[in-house]
Amino acid sequence: MGFYRETLGLSDSAFVLLRDLIHERTGLYFEDGKREMLADKVAPRLIELGIESFLDYYYRLKYDEGNEWGHLMDALAVPETFFWREMDQVHALVEILVPEYVESARPAPLRIWSAACSSGEEPLSIAMALHEAGWFDRFPIQIDASDASPAAIARARLGVYRERSFRSLPPGLRQKYFREEAGGWRISPALHARVRWHLANLANLNEIAPLAGAPFIFCRNVFLYFSNEAIRRTVSCFVRHMPRPGYLFLGASESLLRVTNELELCQVGSAMVYVKR
Amino acid sequence: MRMAVPELDAGLFTTDGELVIRSWNGWLARVTGIGAEEALGRPLATLFPEIEARGLLSRFRRVLAEGVVEVLSPRLHHYLIPCPPPFPSRRFPLMQQRVTILPLREGERVVGTMVLLEDVTARLEAEREPKATGMPEEVLVRGLREERWPSRQLALEQLAGEGGDETIRALLQLLQEGHEDLNVLTSVLHVLIHTDADITAPLCRFLEAPDAALRTYAALALGERRDREALPALLRALDDPDANVRYHAIEALGKLQATEAVDRLLQFVESRDFFLAFPALDALARIGDPGIAPRLVPLLRDELLRAAAVDVLGHLGDADVVAPLVALLGEPGMPVRTIALALATLYDRYEAQYGEGAVIAELARDALDARAVPPLLEEIREAQGDDLRPLALVLGWLEGPEVERALVRLLAEPAVHKEVVQALVRYGPRVTALLVDLLRSEDPGIGRAAAVALGRIGDPAAVPALVEALSGEEGLAIEAAGALARIGDRRACEPLLALLGHPNAAVRRAAIGALNSLGHPEMPGRIREMLLDPDPRVRESATRIAGYFAYPECRERLLERCQDEDEAVRSAAVEVLPYLEEARSMALLARALREDTPRVRAAAARALGQVEGGDALTALLEALGDTEPWVRYQAVRAIERHASPEAVEPLAQLVRSDSAIPVRAAAIEALGAIGGSRVVALLAPLVDAEEADLARSAIAALGRIAHPDAILPLLEALRSPDVMRRVEAAAALGRHAESGVVELLQWTAAVDPDPRVVQAAVDALERMATPEALAALLSLSADPGRHEVCIRALARPSQGRIEALARGLHHPNPAVRCAVVEVLARLKHPAASDLLAGALEDGHPSVRLAAVTALARLGNRRAEQRVAALAREDPDLVVRRAARQALGLRQEEG
Repeated sequence: MGFYRETLGLSDSAFVLLRDLIHERTGLYFEDGKREMLADKVAPRLIELGIESFLDYYYRLKYDEGNEWGHLMDALAVPETFFWREMDQVHALVEILVPEYVESARPAPLRIWSAACSSGEEPLSIAMALHEAGWFDRFPIQIDASDASPAAIARARLGVYRERSFRSLPPGLRQKYFREEAGGWRISPALHARVRWHLANLANLNEIAPLAGAPFIFCRNVFLYFSNEAIRRTVSCFVRHMPRPGYLFLGASESLLRVTNELELCQVGSAMVYVKR
Repeated sequence: MRMAVPELDAGLFTTDGELVIRSWNGWLARVTGIGAEEALGRPLATLFPEIEARGLLSRFRRVLAEGVVEVLSPRLHHYLIPCPPPFPSRRFPLMQQRVTILPLREGERVVGTMVLLEDVTARLEAEREPKATGMPEEVLVRGLREERWPSRQLALEQLAGEGGDETIRALLQLLQEGHEDLNVLTSVLHVLIHTDADITAPLCRFLEAPDAALRTYAALALGERRDREALPALLRALDDPDANVRYHAIEALGKLQATEAVDRLLQFVESRDFFLAFPALDALARIGDPGIAPRLVPLLRDELLRAAAVDVLGHLGDADVVAPLVALLGEPGMPVRTIALALATLYDRYEAQYGEGAVIAELARDALDARAVPPLLEEIREAQGDDLRPLALVLGWLEGPEVERALVRLLAEPAVHKEVVQALVRYGPRVTALLVDLLRSEDPGIGRAAAVALGRIGDPAAVPALVEALSGEEGLAIEAAGALARIGDRRACEPLLALLGHPNAAVRRAAIGALNSLGHPEMPGRIREMLLDPDPRVRESATRIAGYFAYPECRERLLERCQDEDEAVRSAAVEVLPYLEEARSMALLARALREDTPRVRAAAARALGQVEGGDALTALLEALGDTEPWVRYQAVRAIERHASPEAVEPLAQLVRSDSAIPVRAAAIEALGAIGGSRVVALLAPLVDAEEADLARSAIAALGRIAHPDAILPLLEALRSPDVMRRVEAAAALGRHAESGVVELLQWTAAVDPDPRVVQAAVDALERMATPEALAALLSLSADPGRHEVCIRALARPSQGRIEALARGLHHPNPAVRCAVVEVLARLKHPAASDLLAGALEDGHPSVRLAAVTALARLGNRRAEQRVAALAREDPDLVVRRAARQALGLRQEEG
């Protein structure tokens, strides 16, 4: 018995089985070169459950009823997020698209969905930007935020953030919307209440369909970890449910070019957005 | 030669070396009306004279002579054995067959053929069914002129699939006369590119037409069709007076991977003709002849062609191009990212093929100087995504405080952790302080990567900081524990002991692993105390450590832990019982298995897999009736280790009727460990099970059973529409030594459309490593689509491999002999080098060229005299040039 990861050998066949199961249920795809990464992320779950092999864990995931998938999503979640990240798109939303929406007498409330919100920094950034522009006083706006990781949603619901989350947020906004307390900085309850938090897996079309009717969907920096097939399925669900026009915002290094042509890539202000016309 | 001919839903017959039929299966008897008694002992050409008349016997003869696999496509050949289709067909008077001809071997000698016929009539019938229109072909041809794309598309799809000879003639005429209409042109080209009809000759004639546009489109179409028969015409087209024609001829030759065109293409590149040099470079990259690299090096000084030349050199160059590439980095205005990518590509290729990426790194290090640092640092600041890795790799070959700081900052990028840690470890203790600072980073990923690097550097100066990190974020604590274990400094023991009660199980386990690695003379006493700690987590951890070392002073307290009030402690205690060599262990395990909670019962079942003897098996068999599926599962797994025939019936019962799929799957695998004909009969139907896990387990289990009856179900699984079942079946077949398995695996590797299945079949052949299996791999390597995967497999080091490969140097096919040279070069063994020297005498220039190139790279001086002779006298220009280059290399080193 050496280091725990070395005793829990991830064989070729177990890796493929586990990888394919995770892909099927979550959309996340670990290429052959990411075997060690998958083992590192999953090994703590095995230890917690007292399981000694990845094959046994595969069976446990696939056939056991219970909440292991939630724990696994926590383990697989990529936690890198912070306030005021890639704001060009948020500015395009607030300064151009929201006014257009309101002026064209489209239905109220105006719905925005932050899919894969992690611990909430993105939807709260959107809320801050809307609040700064005075939109909450002028038009009913509903912000939904979801993630597949129960732990991430729990942190989002808590609304307390550490220093690392603020590295891009203008100091004035931190002072305005956060109060320091033991353990971090708490978001203003009024702003926090602007967001409704949901547990939803982007690969589970039943879970996301009710949220995908929003005309503005932020789904940023999550498709990086998906296979093309999983992206296609999820985006098709978005397209089926979004109204026209509908706007999908992806991360700066993400593209639907090789995946689907159901949406048109357009420039809005200084941001690139996929549009359903 | 005997060959079991199983009953299949396909035709299967074998012949001897004279093509006399030696076996004939029931399917063939049914569809041909010719029974086995009539077929056996008769020459194939006598039974079916038209096979020879149609020129198909030559394919059989090639299989016999070269040991390759031949496939007769239904689209081109339609059938091998004429017989009526199984159902009335509108389109086909005779059954359409997909035919595979395989070599049958005795040892390495090919002694006959095995032929598999598959009826594809229904599939082809369905594919060619016209879509609702039922329109005559002439109407469809007119449809190609339609303005509206949907109408043209419909016509295209139908014509591409089923256009007859008249239609193709009409389309060729349309191309000749109507190509100025863009709709017509694109539509006709699409059909001509995709049609199965043989149109090479008319298209080659178009290459001589007076109309330059027509010559251009002909070249384009020939390139897309990748028809090597067009090669001579395309080579002539390189002299066409029209630049567009030359352009498309160049592209076409690249798509054909025409080595014959290399010298001409190089001339285009060296002419610096802007319009033609780029496609010529692209074509050379596709052709992949590494011998051209020295002629591309001067292009690094050409501003326009430089970036393209760098890219090609990265893919084709060898160690000689490292210094010229690196030299560019220090000059202003250079495409730094492209150069870094080329160097990284070279490094990766050397690492993958020869395990010698370090050679490239070393050469680069020698050539790099401080002038390269600023441009690399600037690029790294801006780079994202895939651009980062090559830059991080090259930066890691440099030295200096600025470089070290930049690399340490790159620990924030998970995508380059591996490269950065590798470089930092190479720097050693001088970066300890920088890394220690990072342990406190706000970004947990950076801290973890820093801990990993510190562990690999092994500098004891890092111990205090790593100890402090043990109380940090959980992931960091885990990596810090691992690093402390690697450093091996016992100052870490006490802080690690303090972690044994950590609330996170993974942290506790990391601490346990580190303590097990460090050892300490005081550990037995400390652990003995901890076995009674009020905290159950501490007791559990102490139990694991005490069990690992089997400390005598801890024995009694350890046994008492089997009755601890805490379930996790009891579970850990029963797990370690088999390692204590303690007479009371069996009784304790049996009691735990009968009476404790499900978690402990499952642990006890698992532990009993490590205990020999009938008592353990008896207890486990009883546990097959446990109410908890995970207990039954662990009991089955443990029974698998015992592999006792006594367990067959209870396991079979579970397979038939357990409510839990994992239990049934485990029971299938356990039956595989026991084996025997009865087990085969039980498992064979399960390869088709609807439930994927059961099918997979059955296939794997049949792979373990050394019984000829296990082969047929595996063969059926090899033909499954499910890719993963075919993968499993190929792997399972590779564990069988029965006659015919090598042929089946060779067939699979040759014809399966999925690369995962091909890889599995190749790996299976490599693992078998019999002379027949290695001969099959060598034959497969002649197929360009299978070449690299076979070479990689053959180049895995293995006892006796070189002797087996040596025989491949006498194979009738020069492509196979070249493959042998390539494998010998990758093996890097003195015996292999001697064989390579022998290959310098080969009768075929391609083999002599391969041997010269390989010996040059290996630096084999013993062959130098012979290489010098080739440089002077070889009848082939390319061989003489390569030999001169090889000598030139050594003269520089000397």
